[in-house]
Amino acid sequence: MIIDRIISAAALFLAAVYLYATTRIPTLEIGDPLGPKAFPNLLGIALILAAILLFIETLKAGKSDQPVAPAAPRENMRHLWMIGGVVMWTAIYFGVFDLAGYLLTTTIYLLVLTSVFNRGKWRANVLTSVLFALGSYVLFVKILGVTLPKGMQPFESLSSAVDVVWTFAASAISSIFRRG
Amino acid sequence: MDTLGHILHGFNVALMPINLWYTFLGCFMGTIIGILPGIGPAAGIGLLIPITFGMDPTSALIMMAGIYYGAMYGGSTTSILINTPGEASSVMTALDGYQMAKNGRAGAALAVSAIGSFLAGTFGIVALTLLAVPLAAIALKFGPAEYFCLMLFALAAVSSLTGKSAAKGIISTVLGLMVATIGIDLQSGQPRYTMGVPELQDGVGFLIVVVGMFAIGEVLSNLEEHIKGKAEIIRLKGRLWLTREEWSRSVMPIIRGGLIGFFKGVLPGAGATIATMLSYTVEKRISKTPEKFGTGMIEGVAGPEAANNAATCGAMVPLLTLGIPGSGATAVLMGAFIMYGIQPGPLLFEKRPDLVWGLVDSMYIGNIMLLILNLPLIGLFVRILYIPTGILLSLILAISAIGVYSINGNTLELQMALMFGVVGYLFRKIDIPLAPMVLALVLGGIMEQSFRQAMTISGADPMVFVRSGISITLLILAVIMVLLPVVLPRLRAMKDGPEDLDS
Repeated sequence: MIIDRIISAAALFLAAVYLYATTRIPTLEIGDPLGPKAFPNLLGIALILAAILLFIETLKAGKSDQPVAPAAPRENMRHLWMIGGVVMWTAIYFGVFDLAGYLLTTTIYLLVLTSVFNRGKWRANVLTSVLFALGSYVLFVKILGVTLPKGMQPFESLSSAVDVVWTFAASAISSIFRRG
Repeated sequence: MDTLGHILHGFNVALMPINLWYTFLGCFMGTIIGILPGIGPAAGIGLLIPITFGMDPTSALIMMAGIYYGAMYGGSTTSILINTPGEASSVMTALDGYQMAKNGRAGAALAVSAIGSFLAGTFGIVALTLLAVPLAAIALKFGPAEYFCLMLFALAAVSSLTGKSAAKGIISTVLGLMVATIGIDLQSGQPRYTMGVPELQDGVGFLIVVVGMFAIGEVLSNLEEHIKGKAEIIRLKGRLWLTREEWSRSVMPIIRGGLIGFFKGVLPGAGATIATMLSYTVEKRISKTPEKFGTGMIEGVAGPEAANNAATCGAMVPLLTLGIPGSGATAVLMGAFIMYGIQPGPLLFEKRPDLVWGLVDSMYIGNIMLLILNLPLIGLFVRILYIPTGILLSLILAISAIGVYSINGNTLELQMALMFGVVGYLFRKIDIPLAPMVLALVLGGIMEQSFRQAMTISGADPMVFVRSGISITLLILAVIMVLLPVVLPRLRAMKDGPEDLDS
């Protein structure tokens, strides 16, 4: 139940920050009797009330004699580190997304993730990572017309190479269809 | 043109080859999304919205809806074969479905859920067709004050019904409303909470939150499960059909489940999950051998599966007629509507009858397609489950990146999506429901707008919200919704005494 106390406290803190930020909104009194602050103020109050409600709920739950589940901190910590690692790795992936381009970053990103979470099957992992990056690039950029980053030089030439290969392949396929 | 004409014209729209193709595509992808363990309908719709950019809105929405109800069909497969329900609404199916599979009746369990889903789904669409027009007519009389109260009621219902604690649901709702206030205030032109970040001036993109919380957050949770251990997949054996005895046992649960599901689906907050629980409880209570539930009773699969799909259709009623979604997945669907510049609600029935009825009528066709996809072809789809989880989850993360980047080509938005992913992961850990937050985010803008309109009309007099019978009723209902979870257990305890403990 300690977590619920923390949630209450965090909600109160958030409400305070939000209400403070609300006072910083510049207002011009024109026509609109409420202005841009009224609704946010209500929201801030609502969050405070919800935090209090949660606090009351935990008080009740504390009274009813529920046995506290024995925590396994060591075991949990390892999971949390792993998840934290995935989040960091994803943040790095997103960080270099524009710079190094979709193809290269995605291949490396997937290679690392799959070799951690699908350990030992490196052939399948390499194959999926490369094929997915290539396949999704062709599908989204070439067929569906979605924008994905090509990257700066020298990474751009990699994307361009794939573009050229695809153009050849596409024209070859379409010429086969035309003949047929 | 009268309503009947509109409904019939809707079939013209739905039967256009291009729309048939998109119905099929939606149902197909929905089935896959339903089967994939790490991803639910809300995330699926969110991830696939970018693909539909540039499509005709009617076709795009037909496809989105197909993904939505298709995912509900597909969800049962995962529950039955690997006992890991992809969606909360398939939890009940897993109870007896997985046991049936263990007893060698996986084929029968899959068949009854496909047939039950089809029958109840079709019933749900008929009911949706009949209910939509009168409800839209009533909603047309709503002013801003009534609308505000209606949204308040919907949010209160969702907050208190989708989770273990009403307070946590309300916290989730208010956070969603707060996120909705970020950006330039449309009425006064003032930036709010943007902290000088230009990307925040237009507000926090809806898809960023959806992909973050539902796709990335869900993957993080699933990765954690994956680290802890593996689920065993039961191979599909035997014929995909029911014995005569199994069929006769399933008919009544399907009818009851369909009725329960539709009406629960119409109500905000209740939705598919509660409908399946109710249906399961009803079947168990009616049964002559309630002690056998949990060991592979076909009634326990047929009822909840029917309820699940009827609720999906029921949930379309408030979305289309009132413009107010009652669940996470329909909220994402509404987000998709808005991205196409279409505001669902009563006016849409007058302005774009072709779109509304084309969409509704495409659901009849989609249901038939799903029956085919889920019965003869289920063997193919089941193969998806053999993809190693580690690979599957990694790929979903990469697809999330494509989805978010394709909106504006902005990597800051990618980081924001990751941030919401972490928030979603943490919320799951501490039992804060996600659906209320996403729903609040979708409704936040309209809600503030109607609040301010009502106050402007009344000259800043808050009494405007209690002036009409409709608003008062809705406000009272909203208060009841919030207080219900607090009061109900006490009333029950008073009635049943200590018996309550073992239920």
